[in-house]
Amino acid sequence: MTDSTDNGTESADDQPTRTPPPAQPNYDNTFDAIVVGAGLAGSAAAITMANEDLDVLMIERGAYPGAKNVFGGVMYTPTIRDLVGMDGAPIERYVGQRRYAMLTEEDEIGATVNIGDWHEEPHNDSFTVLRGDFDEWLADQAVEAGATLITETTVTDLIRENGYIVGVETDRPEGALRAPIVVLAEGGNSLVSEGAGLKPAPDRKDVAVAVKEVIEFPGDSAQVIEDRFRLGDEDGAAYHYFGEGAAGKSFGGAFIYTNDDTVSVGLAYRIEDSITQGINPEKRLNEFKSHPAVAPLFKDARTVEYTAKTIPEGGAEAMPKLVHNGALLVGDTAGLVLNNGVHLEGTNMAVESGYHAGKAVVEAFNSIPATERTAGATAAGGQTARADGGMVIPSSHLQSYPDRLEESFVVKNLEHYEWLIHRVTEDKELLFEELPAALADAAAEYFAIDREPKQVHGARAKERVLGTLGGLRGLVKLGWRYRKIVR
Amino acid sequence: MTDNWTVVVGIKQVPDEDDVTIDPDTGTLNRAEAAAILNPPDRNALEAALQLKDEVGAEVIAFTMGPPTATPVLELAVALGCDDAALISDMAFAGSDTWPTSLTLAYAAEYFDADVGIFGEETTDSSTGQVPPGIAAHLDWAQLTYVADLDPRPEDNQLLATRDVEGGHEVVAADLPVIVAVGYGDNDPRPAGLHRKLYAETEFEPMELDAEALGIDPDEVGLDASPTQVGGMDTADPVEREQEVVDSVEDLAAAMAEEGAV
Repeated sequence: MTDSTDNGTESADDQPTRTPPPAQPNYDNTFDAIVVGAGLAGSAAAITMANEDLDVLMIERGAYPGAKNVFGGVMYTPTIRDLVGMDGAPIERYVGQRRYAMLTEEDEIGATVNIGDWHEEPHNDSFTVLRGDFDEWLADQAVEAGATLITETTVTDLIRENGYIVGVETDRPEGALRAPIVVLAEGGNSLVSEGAGLKPAPDRKDVAVAVKEVIEFPGDSAQVIEDRFRLGDEDGAAYHYFGEGAAGKSFGGAFIYTNDDTVSVGLAYRIEDSITQGINPEKRLNEFKSHPAVAPLFKDARTVEYTAKTIPEGGAEAMPKLVHNGALLVGDTAGLVLNNGVHLEGTNMAVESGYHAGKAVVEAFNSIPATERTAGATAAGGQTARADGGMVIPSSHLQSYPDRLEESFVVKNLEHYEWLIHRVTEDKELLFEELPAALADAAAEYFAIDREPKQVHGARAKERVLGTLGGLRGLVKLGWRYRKIVR
Repeated sequence: MTDNWTVVVGIKQVPDEDDVTIDPDTGTLNRAEAAAILNPPDRNALEAALQLKDEVGAEVIAFTMGPPTATPVLELAVALGCDDAALISDMAFAGSDTWPTSLTLAYAAEYFDADVGIFGEETTDSSTGQVPPGIAAHLDWAQLTYVADLDPRPEDNQLLATRDVEGGHEVVAADLPVIVAVGYGDNDPRPAGLHRKLYAETEFEPMELDAEALGIDPDEVGLDASPTQVGGMDTADPVEREQEVVDSVEDLAAAMAEEGAV
């Protein structure tokens, strides 16, 4: 209780030190920037801007940041570590073990990678996380840095004036809010950006559908996980599966990630294949889980959560224009997700893009003197002022964002693997169906125990693989086609 | 009637009943771990009050009796459109049952010189429904309970209420001042406006009122002033049920026939 010595009389207005609420509060142009969506990209942008004393408002449609996120996978954390540190971050396990495996309908050929260094800090900056928790934590870091967060509010449109984006419309009464900058971090299903014409609606071949279950085991679930995946207390496993036994006749793959006491299992494939190949995600996931090489991992398991989402994966070619007059696109909204089969990354690119976008906004503000930031000011370069006298920032002042991104690993990775996606699409049947089957047959042949000499089995195994590839020449050609994968 | 009406709305923070779990070891409710939310029927009370504001320009003040951690429900009240909100908090109130609680809220209604006091029909954490009638009794005001809709008649200094009764509804008029308990789910609560929500969550600080400010003698409230006595609590052990999985309808029919169930 506060001191109440002045409240002894029976009067409602006897509160000298307190200002009662205004009849009509108005926050137009009191924030420097509005961030649409408090996911990783949005929070990273908000933290970066708030750290430089910009007034930032994050608008989140979920009941809490992360409420709308279904990601359960590996989080790569170098930028987050730099921005806010990892103290208190809700990580599940560090990734101590990776496995890549090809599945035919019945067989598995795989390799496990377990690097000693991964077991030491900072664990290769790779952790399994559940984004529902992680996003909430990162948004909290933004609030601690000084940003404002409101939830349960959906941005429905952008406000435009004289060629500038000058604010957002929300689904709330009196729901328009103006600010000089809008950072669009609304995720893969970017209805606001598309609706406002900042990016085209994606082609169905550039969108993946991902489904995921969170699984737990009866009894000491963590112990069961550690036994089955051969893990210690803190390390975790990230398994990626390809081939027909994983994603069926689609362009995609399946994954298993161990959390603290649950397991995330799911698959992702082109949404186009749902239509053209008639693949049902839920059915396909069950088929994967009952694959003979996978099923033992999930014996007696119980599904505690089932989720689905879309992932943009058009690569660098499908990347929309990232800066506009008064607005920037970051994270999944900007199509910044890498899924080339071997690497499945989007979260670190989301954080990285949010960070660079935040930096660009800070630079834009710093290029305009504080005295000119108030009503009536125009951006440097004599741009048109807004009708309400608020400040405007032209896209030319935000160009450092795409420039920095271009130099960062984000775009370099996307460009580097662009060719791979094309090649793999062309060679889909060979890589996902014929080759895994041939390898499995060859392995079966090579390791067969009967009365024939090993040499004979070895020769047949070689024949089986080379037959599929079109002989030694075929193998050399394939090697050449994919030479850049290791560069 | 010269001045506009003053309407007070009593609200409460409760544990989210969807979030309350049972401790498997002790068998007691884990109330503390559940998310704290606005008592759901209070949404309807706030909406009824704000409709009076829309219709006759009433000044609406929300209050809650609880610890300072209950402030978020007052922020929500202001976000929805209440003109102001007060936190009624004092160690002297600790352990109050419905009797001293309704006494305290009665004092609060008088403190604000209220014409109308609006409440939800009950709170989901104790479900007595005793507090609104208790306030009316302490104040000797009229009371309208299980109200579906209100029709203000400031020219007559009266409030008309539509009440759901078996087989239909009735319309009852009460002279001011009056206590209203709104039926749960009987109106369609509005969402908070964007700018009000921003104000409420970022800048708003509620008025703070303690027992002294309300003119309450600490001996009138709290555990000692509460006639309710909890004699003890028992937990019922769940009965272990036999489970059997049958693979087909035929197997189920056969199993039931075997048990003599069909």
